[in-house]
Parts: sequence; C-alpha cells; structure tokens
Amino acid sequence: MALLAPLFLLGALAIGLPFWLHRLKTQSSVRQPFSSAMLLESSEQQVHLQKKLKYFVLLALRVALLVLLVLAFAKPVFYHSPGVLAGEVSGTHLILVDTSVSMSRAGVFSQAIGAARRAIDAVPNDALLQVLSADGSLHLASDLSGEKQAHRAALSTLSVSALHLDLGDMMKSVDRLAESLPAPVTLHVISDFQASAMPVRFSDLVSSRIPELIPYVVGTGTPFNWSVEYVRETATGLDVALSGYGDRERVADVELVLNGAVIESRGLSVTGPQVIQFAKPEYAEGDNQLAIRIITDDDLQADNERFHIIEKTPPIEVPLITYASEGLPVTYLSAALESASGDAFVVQTLVAGQFDLRVLSRYTWAVVDDISSVDAELSAALIDFLQGGGSVLAFAGQRAFELETLPVSGHRHSPTNVDIDGNQFLSVGQVDSGHPLLSQTEGWHNVNVSRSMPVEVLDGDKVLIRLENNEPFLIERRFGEGRLLLVLGGLNNRWNDFPVHPVFVSFIIETARYLSGTHDISKMHTAGDTLSLAQVGSVSGQVVDPDGNRVLSLADTTREQQIKLNKPGFYTVYTTEKEVSIAVNIDALESDLQTISQEVLDRWQDATAGQDPAVAVAGSRVPDQEPVPTELWHWLLLLLALVIIGESVLGNTYLNPRRAEQG
Amino acid sequence: MSALQTNRSTARDLLHPKVLAGLKNLDLVARSVVEGVMIGLHRSPAFGFSQEFAEYRAYNEGDDPRFIDWNVFARTERMYIKRFLGDTNSHLMILLDTSASMGFGGPPVSKLRYGKFLAASLAFLAARQHDAVGCMIFDEEVRDYRPPSSRAGKLQGVLHCIDGAEATTGTKFDKPFQKFSEQISRRGLVAVISDFYCDTETLLASVSPLAWQGQDVVLFQVLDQQELDPEFDSNVLLEDLETGEAIEVAPQFMREAYPQRIRDHIDALQKAAMSIGADHVLVNTSDSLDQALRNYLLFRQRRK
Repeated sequence: MALLAPLFLLGALAIGLPFWLHRLKTQSSVRQPFSSAMLLESSEQQVHLQKKLKYFVLLALRVALLVLLVLAFAKPVFYHSPGVLAGEVSGTHLILVDTSVSMSRAGVFSQAIGAARRAIDAVPNDALLQVLSADGSLHLASDLSGEKQAHRAALSTLSVSALHLDLGDMMKSVDRLAESLPAPVTLHVISDFQASAMPVRFSDLVSSRIPELIPYVVGTGTPFNWSVEYVRETATGLDVALSGYGDRERVADVELVLNGAVIESRGLSVTGPQVIQFAKPEYAEGDNQLAIRIITDDDLQADNERFHIIEKTPPIEVPLITYASEGLPVTYLSAALESASGDAFVVQTLVAGQFDLRVLSRYTWAVVDDISSVDAELSAALIDFLQGGGSVLAFAGQRAFELETLPVSGHRHSPTNVDIDGNQFLSVGQVDSGHPLLSQTEGWHNVNVSRSMPVEVLDGDKVLIRLENNEPFLIERRFGEGRLLLVLGGLNNRWNDFPVHPVFVSFIIETARYLSGTHDISKMHTAGDTLSLAQVGSVSGQVVDPDGNRVLSLADTTREQQIKLNKPGFYTVYTTEKEVSIAVNIDALESDLQTISQEVLDRWQDATAGQDPAVAVAGSRVPDQEPVPTELWHWLLLLLALVIIGESVLGNTYLNPRRAEQG
Repeated sequence: MSALQTNRSTARDLLHPKVLAGLKNLDLVARSVVEGVMIGLHRSPAFGFSQEFAEYRAYNEGDDPRFIDWNVFARTERMYIKRFLGDTNSHLMILLDTSASMGFGGPPVSKLRYGKFLAASLAFLAARQHDAVGCMIFDEEVRDYRPPSSRAGKLQGVLHCIDGAEATTGTKFDKPFQKFSEQISRRGLVAVISDFYCDTETLLASVSPLAWQGQDVVLFQVLDQQELDPEFDSNVLLEDLETGEAIEVAPQFMREAYPQRIRDHIDALQKAAMSIGADHVLVNTSDSLDQALRNYLLFRQRRK
C-alpha cells in the first residue's frame, strides 16, 4: 500500500496530536484562582519560549513515535541493488537441484544439498545466483541476487516430491528462464541423472542460452529397487507385474491390500521381472481401493506400493423400444451397448404394444429405434417419462417422411428441405466437439448420409451435429427434467452407413454414459496429473488427499476446480451425487535408478559448451537489474520501541517536578 | 494590673482572624471583637463613646420639640435644644461587596469572611451605642438590603443578612450605589467593605453622590496578603474569579511589577477617597480586626 493512500494520510494527521497537546502544555499546567486579573500582565511569550524549549525533545519523540507507527503499518520497503551492481556482474549461476522421487533414496538428497551448498560457495562473488528445484516442473527457490547466505537458506526449504523429472522439459524451462538473466549463464545441475529422465531427443538437453553446464552426480553406486509395474484384473483374479532393477538378490514380501485390509501376502525369492497371480478377491460394490505393497529394504522405498481402483457396479439396464425385435436397428444398438467395458449396460428389448408402459419409470433412459413408428399412447408415455427426468435416444425411422410432425419431439418437416437423391451422399459438416457426448468420439466425417429427415429447429434445441448442407443430424432437446437426443436418420443401411462405422459404437456408449450419468473418468493417474472435478461428473465437490486432508477450501468447493494430484495414494472425490476414488501412482520411470553414463553426460556438457557464445550472449541480454526490496517494518518497530522507552523516561522526568509542585 | 494586662492580651488574641474563623456564630464574633476593642479603648479616655451630652442650642423653628430641655426653659424661660454626641452620626449603613473576587484568600479566612467579621463588628459596635444600623449586600446588583434601625432585635436581622452573603459574580458599584442613595435620606455613616478592584474613576462616580448627600463614607479595602505580596516560585496561570480570564504570569512579574501596581492602585484609591472627603482604610486579612475598628473609631472621632 502506498504511503499516499488516504488511510495513511489520515494516520499521518495523528502527528498533529502531540503538537496540540504540547500547545496546551505551554499554557501552564498550574492553574490557580486569583481575585482579579486587573493588575496582572500576561507573560505568555516568555513562558511559551521556556516551555517549548523545555519540552522540545519530548515533542520530537512523540512526533517520531507516531510517524514510526504510521510507517510501520505502511510496510515500507527499501530498494537496493541485489548484492552486486549490474555493471559488475560477471554472469549468472543457476543452482538446480533435482527433487524428483528417485532423489528420496537414502542419503542422496542430503548429498545433493551438500553439493549445492558447495556450488554456491564456489560461485565468484561478482556473479548473480539463483537456486532452482526441478521435478515435474521448474521452481524458483530463491530470488536472483548475489547474497549467498540467502541462497544457502533457500536450500533448506527444498524437499523431495513424488513427481518425475524429465531432463528435456527441465532444460526447456531453464532455457526460458535464462533469457532474462545476465549472461553468461552457468547451470549447475545436482541430480542422480536417471537414464529414464532422458528426453527422446538428445538435442532437447541443449539450451542455446546456457554456455556452461556443470553436473553434480549424486547417488552413485549400484542401486537395487523393487517396483510394481502394473496390476491387471483378469477373469480369474489379478495379475501383478513386478520389476527388480539391479543385479543384487533381494528377498521381499508382497502384500495385497484391499480397501485397507491385507488379504494376501506372498514371499519373493527371485529378483527380476515377474508376474504374480492372485486369486480374485471379494470386491465390494463401488470403487475398491487395491494396493500392492512390496515389503523390502531396497534403495527406493517410494515406489514399493502401487495403487489401483477396481470398480464393481451392477450393469445398467437399457430399454430398447422397437416394433421389430429382430430388425437391424436392434442388432446394431444391442451390440454397441453391450460392448461397453465392464459389462456396464444390458439391453432389454421392449416391443411396442407388448409391454406395460409403466415399466419405463424403472429406467433412467431409453432407446427408441424408430420414433416415427411410435403411436399416440407410447408417445404420451415417453413424454411423461421425459418430463419426469428420464432421457431418450431416438432415431427417425422410415415412416418419418410420411408424418408432418415427429411424435414425442414435435419437430416438423423443414419446408426448405430438398430431398437428397439416393445417388448423392452428404457428409457430416459440423460436430460440437465441446459437448461431453461428442468430445470422446471421432470419425464422424467418415459417415455418409444418403437420406436425412430435415426438420425445423425449435427454440431450445441444441444442434450437436449438422450435415454439410447445414441440415441438423443430431439434436438435443430438454423436456422438463429430462432430455431427448434425436438422430435425424434411421438405422437402416439404406439411409446412411452410420451403424457400420466405429464412431457408431463410441457414440452409443458415450450416449449411454451421458444419459445414465455414469460418465467415464480415469481413476488411475500418475503423480503430477491434473484432475478436473468436471471429469467426475460434477463442477463442484470436495477432494480428500491420501493423507486425509481436504484439498479444497470451503469457497473452492463451489467452483469448478483443477486438482493437482501430487501425492501417491488414494484421493477421494466427494460430489453431491457420488463418491469416487482416484488412485495416484509414482511415475514408473522413477523406479529405474540406472544413471546416465558418463559418456552421455560428457556429450551433454560438450554440446552445451559448443554453443556459439555470441548466440548465447545475444540471447541473454543483461537486464536492468531490478532493485531488491527489503522490508523495513521490523526495523521500524524496533526503533518505535526505543522511542517509546525514551518518551516514557523523558515524560516521567518532566512529570516528577510537577508532581512535587502539586504535592 | 497584671491581671488586667492578661485580660487584654487574651481579648486581643481573640481578634485574630485565625481565632475568629473558628467561631461559627457571627454574633459571637462581633461581640468578641467589640469587647476586645472596648477593652483596648479604656486605655485612652479621649475616645468617650456613649450617649454623652454635647451642647445646648437655641431652639429654632422646625426643631423637634421633644428635644427641648424643659428644665432650662423653667429656669431661664428660653428654649434650648439639648444635643448629644451620638446625634451627629445617628446611623450606620454597612455596604458589603460580595463579588467573586471577595471569595479569594485564606486560609484561615477569605476576604469575604473577613469582611463579614468586620461588618458584623461594626454593626455590633454601632448598636452598642444605640446607633441605627443597616446593611446592604451587593455585587453587580443589590442582593440584600436592611434599612437602618436602632430598634432592639434589628441587629440580629442585620447580622443574619451579613452572615448569609455569598461570593457570586462580578462587581459594579454604580447600580447598587445609585439604588442605595435613593433609599437613604438621613445623613449618617456609610462603611463600604470591598476589595475595590475597579477603576477609581468609576468608583468615584458611584461614591461621590453619597458624599454630596452629606454621608460620611469610609472605604474599607479588604485585601489578602497574597494580593499584597504574592509569592510564586514558578510560572502560574492565574484565573480571574469574576471574569474567568486566565493570564499566565511569571514569578518575576509577581515579585517585582505586581506589588508596585497594587500599591499604585491603593494610593489612587486613597487619593480618590480624599478627593470626596471619604476615608480609606486598608485592611489586610492577616491582621487582627481591632486595627480596622480602631481606624473606624478614629475616623468617627474626627467627624465629631
């Protein structure tokens, strides 16, 4: 807040208080009655002079007290050059410490901190310094300055994360940072230099703005590490793939933990990749939290546990309303729905006129293979079903052309419609890929439409797909609490080839998930991923991390949030509708502790040093060094305390004689 | 002889303000003062003070026939009027200023309290010689007025009037004195008890009409020792009791300039009193009352 802010200007007015008080004091503190002032003569001038001289120091202290108080609240900062002057900078040294998971090996991170400290000490005094850390991204641990003490202190704030370091991404970030730093920039990288951290292209390791790279390799030796590669659910049980990195023999026990309880334990005696099979446990309904835990004394403990979610929900029954139970539409729709993973959907074929319409209320959504064939009774039942919150996926069948208005939806033929000749084909023109229904589907443009059912778009209709002649092909319309998805084409091969394209299956499955409210989300994540609450089917909710802490504040729970999944373990997402478990695992690349060979490291250094210095220097212009702000409020408070003491002592000194006089 | 001296010294001790301040009853104060003064007066026979024969004067038309000495007429067949000493000043009017400035002073007594003692003593003294006594309490206005009377019991009324006086506001002599001069018709003695913190010209304008009426005016100027010789060690803010005006004064001024100013004021007042034939008596509240009464009696004697 600036000192010229009205609040502080108001506070500064308080300085007038001691002046006013002292002005009163100079009137004289001894007031006595006297019979008459007729013969008196005021000697005020002399008295004022004496009083002012007498209390000047006290007045000054009191004014200083108020000024310091106002300034302390204003939190002034003193800008000074960052240690060394811009003209004297010999370059910039970036001290980058790897904080990825692999650095959590015993003693490795403390080695890294020690190496970083030595690197700081070795930097010339006329150079600028900055401490960085890198895991999934680059973090600035200290400000750019020449004050080594501050950088040493910044090292103590670093800690190992659960994320994976990619050296290529790291160098890209450092390259961008170096653009604004005084050249030449020397990069000190303190890391275990895992081979798995290498980018695909070696050139990604080379920065055009960094002419010198100094690697500090920590955690050398021949490490051994067990890790769980994957967990796979099979028809008979579970396959757990284990990897043993290193050539030492290490025994271990493997535990299978289901929903927090150890259900099976098995000993390992052979090192190396292997698959262990577990019998199918008894799963509870909903999300089952499954953890595979390796109990061993390998070098990297962080990856000895893998987390997995096994979802067990009963299949959702989908009523397929048709007039021909043996027709092609039924075949296409049934096949598509039943191909969904995990046997999520079961088709119940309901032949129109042969079922009790009241059963519709048992379902959340229904499919109508030909809405043009629906009679009045079924139409009324479907409208009631929609109004009551149900959803319907309907196709316009062959009879649609014979009707002026489609049943249920109420759409009329478009007067501008020109029937497409059977010899001509239209493709899909526009697809609303932002719609959750269509975001996961691909291949619409391969669909050929020879005959469509052009209708007038009604108010409230959302056209999700249009043909290339701009006629609607897929319309979403809300009915009360429910929604109708209307495909303006039949499932007859004579109209289009939609059912034979792969997009048909994905469209039907996505529609089924969309209309039944079981939108598929990925429940398996790698540390560092981002989870959107919208993916869980809700824009708001609360997330509890593996440590049992709430991730979102109360205010955040009402907003759409992107949750960074930084901890391995099970996250639980609570929404208004359901509870979802998310498993987060450490990147498997961190488990391989094999380091970059010295040859590769040398090549990296050489490639960096081989950069054209002119390019490097030109790329990193010397910026106008921004002065470093230093907060002064704590010094002001100290000074304030001294002034208060001084004021008290002096004021007491003045007060004593007056008390004596009054006594 | 020694017993008489002891008696006198005890009586004089009783006149000291410190002693009088302890007496609640103003009547008792007045009696004590007067008795004390009377004892002192016996030392000087020149101060005869009673209904003594003064002279015979031939009867003139208009004289009250009650005062014709019929014995002389029987012997000489001439009518003479018998006159007594008390006949020259047969009544005393006490004018007591009760302005706020009179509340100043003490301990032991304020100027007003001292003025009350003085007024009561004068009244008692006059009553003792059968003079008619009246009083007027004033500040800016006439607060109380008792016409002169020599009737038995009237003295208590006068003393009660004096006793009830309280220091209140400012002082203005013109209006109360004008009213007084309208009320009084007979010639007599007028004792004005005040600190006279006013312009002498203004005072003269108020008192002169009384003198011109033939009243014998005596001005008792009652001042406290702190007013006559103030003692301040440090700067002090003095607040005028009447106006509330506060003036900051230095001790140097109070030591050097102020005493000279008060002396000049007293001298000016004295000269003004002399100019109209009035008498001026300066009374210090730290002095005993007999001095003031003695001055009064001397003044009365001179008037004979």
